Amino acid sequence: MPESIISIQHLSKSFGTFQAVKDVSFQVFKGDVFGFLGPNGAGKSTSMRCMLSLIKADSGDIRLFDLPIKNHREEILRRTGSIVEKPDFYKYLSAYRNLDIFARISGTYSSKKEIYAMLDFVGLNGREHDKVGGFSHGMKQRLGIAQTLLHNPDLIVLDEPTTGLDPQGIIDIRNLILRLKEEHQKTILLSSHDLSEIEMIANRMVIINKGKSIVEGSVKELMSTENLFIRLEVEPQQKALEVLKNAFPDIPIQVKGENQLEFHLNRNQVPSISQLLNSHEIAIYSLESKRSLEDYFIKIVQQDAI
Amino acid sequence: MLFKSVYNEFIKIAAKPRSYLGIGAITLLVGVILFALKSDGLSILSFVTSSFEQTLSFEGNLLNGNLIAFIILQMLLVQIPLLVALVTGDLISGEFAMGTIRIVMTKPISRTTLLLSKFIAGAVYTACIIIWLGIMALIFGRIFFGTGDLIVLNTDGLVILQEHDVLWRYLSGFAVAFLALLTVASLSICLSCFSENSIGPIVATMSIIILFTIIGTLEVSVFDSIRPYLFTTHMASWRNFFEEPLPKTEIIKSVIILVAHILLFLGISMYTFNKKDISA
Repeated sequence: MPESIISIQHLSKSFGTFQAVKDVSFQVFKGDVFGFLGPNGAGKSTSMRCMLSLIKADSGDIRLFDLPIKNHREEILRRTGSIVEKPDFYKYLSAYRNLDIFARISGTYSSKKEIYAMLDFVGLNGREHDKVGGFSHGMKQRLGIAQTLLHNPDLIVLDEPTTGLDPQGIIDIRNLILRLKEEHQKTILLSSHDLSEIEMIANRMVIINKGKSIVEGSVKELMSTENLFIRLEVEPQQKALEVLKNAFPDIPIQVKGENQLEFHLNRNQVPSISQLLNSHEIAIYSLESKRSLEDYFIKIVQQDAI
Repeated sequence: MLFKSVYNEFIKIAAKPRSYLGIGAITLLVGVILFALKSDGLSILSFVTSSFEQTLSFEGNLLNGNLIAFIILQMLLVQIPLLVALVTGDLISGEFAMGTIRIVMTKPISRTTLLLSKFIAGAVYTACIIIWLGIMALIFGRIFFGTGDLIVLNTDGLVILQEHDVLWRYLSGFAVAFLALLTVASLSICLSCFSENSIGPIVATMSIIILFTIIGTLEVSVFDSIRPYLFTTHMASWRNFFEEPLPKTEIIKSVIILVAHILLFLGISMYTFNKKDISA
């Protein structure tokens, strides 16, 4: 059994009459990049805030590093680095001074050299002494990650770290997370709205909806039970449509553009498509198949709503 | 951890432009008062002493640095709470408004330690304000107006204090004035724990001071029982050091009431801040 880093059991939290989290449970193991998924208002941020003792849970058991956060808050936070929601800093201070301030209360001494090295690591070299007030959102995200990593924590909690970033920024942050896992063997809990990103970098995940956890497990295993999304470019389109409808009568097929067809198909049936179309002398120009966490996510959430 | 956190708070206070408003305002106001008294101080003084000239004769430099300092303190110690609250009212709520509280509270520092460090930093800032006021009033007063015996007009009449008997009274008076301002700082920090924006605690602090001052000055019997316990009643108790004989009981009572208020506000702050959900 791998070492448990985060264990949340039956967490609940209400704000007045509104129950933000009803029954969230999940477990993160050492070395995981753990995806924390859920639609807006599902209770992700509230769960993360409870986990980091920013807010007090009404009930449930929260253990990090096998210690209850209730009684071992400081010990746990010394081993944890986090960004909750957007990274906000003292705008009137420089990037260096912000890190210096947070390093001082992180429980581990960070020298000037280490702070400069960390700023360099996140790509903020040359901007160390600029006031954060003038930073773009992407630069603040990088600085947020720098403050998360500076005290060399074992667990990193990132709440939607790519929100508001440009495509290059998203790639940079994604690569940074992968480097943290591969080169530094960190355990990472990552909430994100970008489901494809979770699919790309997380090995395990939990989906929560309306304050409850719905499904938890390995991303690969959860995805392997799912249909694949298929996009075909064929000619003639109409003939291909008829052949496929006969072969897979229960599957809805969408006609897109002049030569494209789109549908979902069980993974095991995908190899038969080319044989089938070739046998009817239908030309295949391209066959694209991919797992869609997005589809899976929507399906799971919709099932939960019923 | 407390020491490190206090150091952090000093860095933040020193970097905020609003922290220099107090120092700047005191410099400007004292400068204006010194200029006005240098220009027309003698006529103001003769207006005060004229009612006593039939029975007393005044000799020497009456308009001296000691009197100037007294006038300045009397004028400014009413406005200075606002300058203190401008900084201390922002200490907790400013972190919420900026969102930095989320990062600070995910660090291994207890809420009590953070609050205490802010209180200590606020107290040091308040001390700086009082010390600067003292330097401006006493030292610049003496530079421009020289020194001499201090004549103070009280409700009981004139009190004349000899030159060598004045400095310790000022130092003690500043210490009590510091306690009064620290009470204001504690109140604003306390209110800051209830708010997530900076303006609210500052306005609320001033509103409470104005309300308590009105209650304290209204000659209505219904307030007689509470008036002695309002901290605003004791904010001017620094003046007791310029009475003769020294009203020791009054001074001790004022100190106890101010310290009790500071502890009360600090206690409420700790309870509130420790219970507060950080959902900013």
